[in-house]
Amino acid sequence: MLESLQHLAAGFGVAMTLQNLFYCLVGATVGTLVGVLPGLGPIAGIALLIPVTFGLNSTSAIIMLAGIYYGAMYGGSTTSILINVPGETASVMTCIDGYQMAQKGKAGKALAICAIGSFIAGTIGIFGLVFLAPPLAEAALAFGPAEYFSLMVFGFIVLSNVTGASFLKSLMMAVIGLIIGTIGLDPVTGDGRFAFDSPSLLGGIEFVAVAIGLFGIGEVLVNAARPAELLEQKVVVPHLRELYPSLADLKESISAILRGTGIGFGAGLIPGPAPVIATYASYMVERKISKHPEEFGKGAIKGVAGPESANNAACQSAFIPLFAIGIPFAPPTAILLGALLIHGVTPGPMMITEHPALFWGVIASMYIGNLILLLLNLPFVPFFANILRIPKKVLLPLVMLFCLTGMYTVNNSMFDIWVMILFGALGFLARKWAYEAAPLLLALVLGPKLEVAFRQSLMISHGSFDVFVNRPISLAFLVATALFLLIPLATMFRGRVRIREAAGKGEG
Amino acid sequence: MKRSEALGGGVIFLFGAVTAILSLQMPIGSFRAAGSGLFPLCLGILLMVLSAAYVAQVLWAVREEIKKDADVAPERESPAQVLAFLVVIVMATLLLKPLGYPLVSFLLMVGLLRVLGSRRWPLNLTLSLVTAAGSHILFVYLLKIPLPRGFLGI
Repeated sequence: MLESLQHLAAGFGVAMTLQNLFYCLVGATVGTLVGVLPGLGPIAGIALLIPVTFGLNSTSAIIMLAGIYYGAMYGGSTTSILINVPGETASVMTCIDGYQMAQKGKAGKALAICAIGSFIAGTIGIFGLVFLAPPLAEAALAFGPAEYFSLMVFGFIVLSNVTGASFLKSLMMAVIGLIIGTIGLDPVTGDGRFAFDSPSLLGGIEFVAVAIGLFGIGEVLVNAARPAELLEQKVVVPHLRELYPSLADLKESISAILRGTGIGFGAGLIPGPAPVIATYASYMVERKISKHPEEFGKGAIKGVAGPESANNAACQSAFIPLFAIGIPFAPPTAILLGALLIHGVTPGPMMITEHPALFWGVIASMYIGNLILLLLNLPFVPFFANILRIPKKVLLPLVMLFCLTGMYTVNNSMFDIWVMILFGALGFLARKWAYEAAPLLLALVLGPKLEVAFRQSLMISHGSFDVFVNRPISLAFLVATALFLLIPLATMFRGRVRIREAAGKGEG
Repeated sequence: MKRSEALGGGVIFLFGAVTAILSLQMPIGSFRAAGSGLFPLCLGILLMVLSAAYVAQVLWAVREEIKKDADVAPERESPAQVLAFLVVIVMATLLLKPLGYPLVSFLLMVGLLRVLGSRRWPLNLTLSLVTAAGSHILFVYLLKIPLPRGFLGI
């Protein structure tokens, strides 16, 4: 434990250099902006800024990109409170009581409690990261290809289970993502697959193009589909002096903040869109244990403090599986995995020993980033609120231009732009038919890893599938997967029985 | 809703089938020594099974679930606007190399503002000009990114 603290101190040394402080500030600011702007979430935001990091060293690059991720969580809450529109999905729960508080003239208080809660959660989350990641990485050293395969399968099943309206639809999206991931060179033999003699296809599908397409352009198109008169918003801009919560508010919220932190931290460790699950769970818990549950939905400060702390803690702990095992459990960390690979760093058990400056530097930067966000968000809230006044019919073309330019800069490739537009259109259609895009993106990034793990396991076992159940850790993941598979089946079956019973009663 | 849901499942089934057929043209090998085609073949078949299960679920599903899916679709929207938006993006991409980034970014802004219902031309043109110039300065001069110059040569 003492060793971890020493490493962390060294990490602060890395993060406190002028250059890294600057990129931390840039990341946090851009993150807040993409969180505030509807139509751009953390996934598209990180993907768009990857090319900007090409000239940087890997530590500065990841410091900046990680800043976008947790910065977006702060920004997303601003729009929830001020205009009742979640800037990204993790802020949906904040809309409920946050907007009600704004309606009662307490927008400043709501924003401040968000920032303070997020800061406390972020701080505790980072200590969790410091103490949990190294032992987990050590444990992951025992993982062979079979364990990795089973863990990834577990991840896909859980993510598909918790996202979207239909489990089968999400699972189909994951398989489609895996198939798209096989385009290009076979990771084992080096043969071309599905390339149709095109050199561009032989290079594989650029995951940045898919990410910007599905989550950037897809979102822009969804917004563009709404008739023009619906594109305008009314914005409440709070005054600076309203931004400081009273001691009584803080006292009331602190327990919710701590509970939210615990829930969020746990959610980040398991597969799935951690911040979304964490905010939902935290809100439900707060309402359940409150002495005044009737206040929830009418501007309860705990309904803002809990979920907002939860999503920040989840953001921090989501880095644990990424850094320690090398397997991201949700799209934002999957994009970060892609960025790490571009910079020649393979996250996983060896990363902490091979790239200590990067690992501890990024963790320390998250702490500094949280502080920056606290300082940035409170006084600049009126500025961010004013950004919301830009009409959507101006904002959407701007976002579009930025996506197009950003995509071109990744590889200077026209082919990538076409891929991005295609996935933009697909993202729009997926949204319309309620197919969840997140499993597709995660599968695309993890696909080659999954395939290599699958083939290596079977090579070791001489073609026998026993290898997946004979090894205890792998078996444990598969048993957990089976349990998660049974849940949707059971609910489906129960629903059918209920309907049949109802129909039976109707006939009787 | 039910029909379009089943149709969507059908399209995905076809995608799985095409994947499986194309994979069969690659070396398959065995599970002991897998060829390039084995993994995509498994995925293609898996997708066919999942989509078939989905179509079956939709066709025989209890009414409750169909209703839940129907709620997800947005109520008021204009497909023509999305299509026009996409056409402008595609045109801009086609013209990017021949016309160059500065001109295309200007035209893209003008086109998209018009599609989204901005009819005040002087404002649209000024906004587009400022955006095109601003992004040119940011990307080409400050970030030194080589964007297509086109015939203007800037």
